Amino acid sequence: MNHLVHPASQTSFVPTDPLVTIRDLTVAFHGTVALHGIDLHIRPGESLGLVGESGCGKSVTWLAALGLLPKSANVAGSVRLQGQELLHATGPVLDRVRGGRIAMIFQDPASSLNPVHRIGRQVAEAVRLHRGLSGAGARAEALRLLDQVGIPGARARMDAYPHEMSGGQNQRVMIAAALAGRPELLIADEPTTALDVTIQAQILDLLQQLRSDTGMALVLISHDLGVVADMCDRVCVMYAGRIVEEAAASGLFDAPAHPYTRGLLGALPALSGARQRLQAIPGRVPDPSSMPPGCAFAPRCERRIDACDAGLPPLDAITPGHLAACIRADRG
Amino acid sequence: MSLLTLDHVSRIYAMRRGWLGRASAVQAVEAVSLTVQPGRTLGVVGESGCGKSTTGRLALGLEVPDAGTVQFAGQAMPPPNSAAWRTLRARMQLVPQDPLGALDRRLSVARQIAEPLTIHGIGDAGERADRVAMLLQDVGLRADQAARYPHALSGGQRQRVVLARALATGPDLLVCDEPVSALDVSIQAQIVNLLVDLQAQRQIGMLFISHDLRVIRQISHDVAVMYLGRVIERGDPDAVFADPAHPYAQALVAAIPGGRGGRRAVLQGDPPNPADRPTGCAFHPRCPAAVSRCRAEVPVLKPRPGDGRLVACHVAQGESELGLAA
Repeated sequence: MNHLVHPASQTSFVPTDPLVTIRDLTVAFHGTVALHGIDLHIRPGESLGLVGESGCGKSVTWLAALGLLPKSANVAGSVRLQGQELLHATGPVLDRVRGGRIAMIFQDPASSLNPVHRIGRQVAEAVRLHRGLSGAGARAEALRLLDQVGIPGARARMDAYPHEMSGGQNQRVMIAAALAGRPELLIADEPTTALDVTIQAQILDLLQQLRSDTGMALVLISHDLGVVADMCDRVCVMYAGRIVEEAAASGLFDAPAHPYTRGLLGALPALSGARQRLQAIPGRVPDPSSMPPGCAFAPRCERRIDACDAGLPPLDAITPGHLAACIRADRG
Repeated sequence: MSLLTLDHVSRIYAMRRGWLGRASAVQAVEAVSLTVQPGRTLGVVGESGCGKSTTGRLALGLEVPDAGTVQFAGQAMPPPNSAAWRTLRARMQLVPQDPLGALDRRLSVARQIAEPLTIHGIGDAGERADRVAMLLQDVGLRADQAARYPHALSGGQRQRVVLARALATGPDLLVCDEPVSALDVSIQAQIVNLLVDLQAQRQIGMLFISHDLRVIRQISHDVAVMYLGRVIERGDPDAVFADPAHPYAQALVAAIPGGRGGRRAVLQGDPPNPADRPTGCAFHPRCPAAVSRCRAEVPVLKPRPGDGRLVACHVAQGESELGLAA
């Protein structure tokens, strides 16, 4: 049933102390809970995929972790960057971390870039802020970064405006600006969703290349299971504000345990073999203001039993390193 | 008889570059020939600017080709907004990508679905109400959702409403332009299954336009790959996806995330500007297999020696030498 191929273990890393550790992170907007206690860690150099459908909380997790949500959001829990608490940290602390040790890029590069400034100036600005270079030094470093992210004829393109560049090139510019602070962790939130498939392949390739060159860790937030299968060592699947499954990418795509993960994979049309009817997940994601009593997926789940409504299923190990929040999950 | 036939259809737009720039011609669609059979789906796949949406609009007679002909059920497509075209529109309907944009926010679901019936003068009030109730059921909506307004529905439900409205007049042809691209994968699967079921029940011919190769393969009986206004490969979806003949189709298949590519050859460069078309084969500046003939001469879509796959490529045809008879 699995139509995704995961390239056999791209990196075999030795477990080290996490770079970022998130504990029991909750977010509520005007009394409506969007994130129900997320536990997550990322090790240096690792690539972690966060997948799930619209509204599952995959973006909110990192916006909350970096203090990028509006004041109306009620955020609780703990986010530690190698022992340093980031949640509710002061402005100067966050300013050093954001764009410095942790950088973030988004889906729509055109709206993240300033349309009235030349791209060279915008990248140089990031260099000035995070590296303390100025003037010619900042410009030289901006040029090096644009070259590194594969902007053809970077020297001439320094003077271009974002509207003169294609969507793929603007995303490269955003990545160049994100690299300005030499981040240890890059958070890419749907970085290729707005791009054509051949351009998506270029950007994903670039991210892999940069990761192997710089050793930075990557969190890839995506609705696209295929992208995550290609890019990530480890994957967390989110549903309705919780992590429902977490495993090494190979384990997750070869042996999905949670019925929701199995459903997502079954809903994806295959690229080869006989065409079979898609296994659509019935119904839709629950409204955050009226969540089901127990497991949030139970109303759509083909394996549901009465016990599923009795309480929240804990995120338990099914096999070592493979966790699933389901009392009916396939075990061992 | 084919339901829909496009024969060497071209469409040129005039575009002005800059505020006072001189107008230049943009060839959006060039010499495209396609057929849709009753009860079958032709998938049209390609990236932004390849002309797939313009092809859909030409198929519905919303645009008039600058060259070539469009035939619907054996008859020439009447000019847009003529009486004959209006009548014909009951038999061919569009399912667009963005259902919220396609629906009127001030009208209830039931009124929207009944609207084409009113426009085409089908049935009296009672019959229309019955028809709407039936259509709601056919697309998997509940009867009580008839009184709702678009904003109170989810994306998937809105697309079901659009589908019900498109089906109201009992069309023979649906042109679906990225109908599931804005939906989450679990909802996308629901709508794809629904389209397949409706087609089987009603023998509807479909022109299904998408950038998503997985969805195209799932739903199509025949597939056309477009690049910069031209069809560059056509054939059985299983064959085209398993063994694409055109270098661009090969790159497209290799670029599908989670495919067998693993570490794949990534196509370099950006798609070219339709207003600034490369000479010869439009793909040659990005093509790893390009030879000198590709820069000079536009390749024709024709059967490849051996298996007869339709492909527009000098190299795939084994005719890469200049001067060889085509």
